[in-house]
Amino acid sequence: MDAMTDNKKAADCAAPSAAQKPLVHKGRVPVRRPDVDTMFSVNPDGSRNAIQPADVRGRFQRLKHGLWYVLIAIYVALPWLKIGGRPALLIDIETRHFYLFGQTFNAQDFWLAFFFVSGLGFLLFVLASLLGRVWCGYACPQTVFLEGVFRRIERFIEGPAAARAKLDKAPLHWSKLWRRGAKMLVFAAIAAVISHSFLGLFMPVEVLVHAVTASPGEHPTAFVFMLVATAVLFVNFTWFREQTCIAICPYGRLQAALYDADTVLVGYDQKRGEPRGSAGTAGAGDCVDCYRCVSVCPTGIDIRQGTQMECVGCANCIDACDEVMSKLGRAPGLVRYDSQRGFETGKRRFWRSRVAVYGVLMLMGLLAFGFAALGRTPFEANLSRAPGRSYTVEDERVHNVFVLHLINKRPGPRTFKIAVLGPKEADTTVGQTEVALESLADAKIPVHVFVPVSAFQAGVKTQLSVTCNDPEGELTRVATATLLGPSSGRR
Amino acid sequence: MSPTLTNTAMSTETTGAETTRGHTFDGIAEFDNHMPNWWLWSFYLACIFSVFYWLHYHTLGTGDLPSEAYVQEQKAAAAIIEAQAAANPVTDELLLKLAKEPGVVAEGEKIFKDPIRCALCHKPDGSGLIGPNLTDDMWVYGSRPMDVYTTILKGRPGGMLPHEAFGTLFVQRATAYVLSIKGKNLPGKPPEANAKREQ
Repeated sequence: MDAMTDNKKAADCAAPSAAQKPLVHKGRVPVRRPDVDTMFSVNPDGSRNAIQPADVRGRFQRLKHGLWYVLIAIYVALPWLKIGGRPALLIDIETRHFYLFGQTFNAQDFWLAFFFVSGLGFLLFVLASLLGRVWCGYACPQTVFLEGVFRRIERFIEGPAAARAKLDKAPLHWSKLWRRGAKMLVFAAIAAVISHSFLGLFMPVEVLVHAVTASPGEHPTAFVFMLVATAVLFVNFTWFREQTCIAICPYGRLQAALYDADTVLVGYDQKRGEPRGSAGTAGAGDCVDCYRCVSVCPTGIDIRQGTQMECVGCANCIDACDEVMSKLGRAPGLVRYDSQRGFETGKRRFWRSRVAVYGVLMLMGLLAFGFAALGRTPFEANLSRAPGRSYTVEDERVHNVFVLHLINKRPGPRTFKIAVLGPKEADTTVGQTEVALESLADAKIPVHVFVPVSAFQAGVKTQLSVTCNDPEGELTRVATATLLGPSSGRR
Repeated sequence: MSPTLTNTAMSTETTGAETTRGHTFDGIAEFDNHMPNWWLWSFYLACIFSVFYWLHYHTLGTGDLPSEAYVQEQKAAAAIIEAQAAANPVTDELLLKLAKEPGVVAEGEKIFKDPIRCALCHKPDGSGLIGPNLTDDMWVYGSRPMDVYTTILKGRPGGMLPHEAFGTLFVQRATAYVLSIKGKNLPGKPPEANAKREQ
């Protein structure tokens, strides 16, 4: 506290702090240990400290790996899935058609995205306030692909953590070259697969397949997007890795504001573990200071120093510690999921006001989206003046030209019938009285309205009824537009 | 007392010999650690890029900002169209030739079938709505290529609007399409009282 507030003292310490840290001597080589004041993945000179987490087995690993098979299958298969002949999830940017699990949306429905996205966002808030970064450790595509695919391939090609660290330091030699080359090649191929899957959510798969098989010149935008996405994913999964979670992901940086003393996090039981000492030492706690929890951490922290910004909640340290404890014949759970209050007093609370507030906000977003999505108009019928025209007078008749814009928002094809309702004194010509439209297709139909100058009155509206032959019953909407004429300005 | 939220739990490994930036807010101080080099380099490169961007677009004016680039592109396109129009004076022969070029006719079809252009009054198939049927052999203002061209370009009494603002190329394409559907004799709007039969 004093060191923090005493500006003079702080100013006196001009040299970089990490350089002053005593290095731990393990054998003959000084080893830097993680601490809470610096990022372990960055060396004191700012260069990158590549983290090579050791292998770990345990119940949370089994849970994660099982989940990841399912999630990877979903992430890769999602662009190909169809519901009722339509894509399960497709945000077709080019045509502005959106498909969401059987529902079809067009650009006019985009306002619904606010409720949908905020509902999902608050769902993450609820999760974070209850279980911390459980999304990050288990389900985020960054983790799923990094830990579930890339790191395992790396393990296969380059060997366990110690061998990988040795290879990092090794001079460029044939054995390093072929291992690194093979790894990069496989990584690049997988990055390309992921980027294509990602692209498949923004353009129809049929178009994507054509884009893949045809010359890049036929789909230049998609091709460039694919190249950039592949390059970004390749750099991310080969090199950048945990830096994304630490320095870029906004959700990670929000965590500190979402936690409280009752949030269940990966933590270390200080009361049970301290003071540390090897097995059999009199007065020592359960922690034998074996550093297994540190060596398995993918972000390079020591969980025994408390909750830290870098922790993605992967639970590797829990499995590592439980394994050591069981070998020592001690109870598991020295490192475990628990809340700050739980570690201190043994008491846990599930319901807190923050959970309720986030939960209510989440429900508001999702319910508003649900009701609005189900209750929205099945088709659009807008009557508007033909662009660039006011009115003309021909043969003592006022001529107004309108365009009826019809959009079918149903997932299936529909037929629309158009009838003129009024005004009575008008002679109305409609371009087409029956229109068949595919799902999300639209049509613009001209409507010419002639009113004798003598009968023209300002403010009179032309009225059309548009009827859609929906299987749930006929749906009728009335489209209106105000007529313009020579007396418009007088009244 | 913990200096940051990251070590709310008691730490056994902090050295206590930290350098901070000297400012504290509510007891929270900032460590003076070295920034990651990848971060610094992306920052430096962005700074360098911004200097060149600034010079190129704002100081030297050697690059066009999007609004200016748009105007320039429009001007260049207009100049090309004008040059083409000057090199090819519109004649019956030229229009007949264009009416036989599939690419030009396709462009014209797009114009014609645009719901707010020709199709508004003549229907997408040209069979006539409040405007005359263009597929029959009855014509009010003549069916020679230059007659059709002039009708579209300058407009006619009775509702036909002028299209000079769209440029001659636009009108040539629309004319080519009208010439290509002439004589299809689709059933549609009956001939007008003042229409004359032409071959």
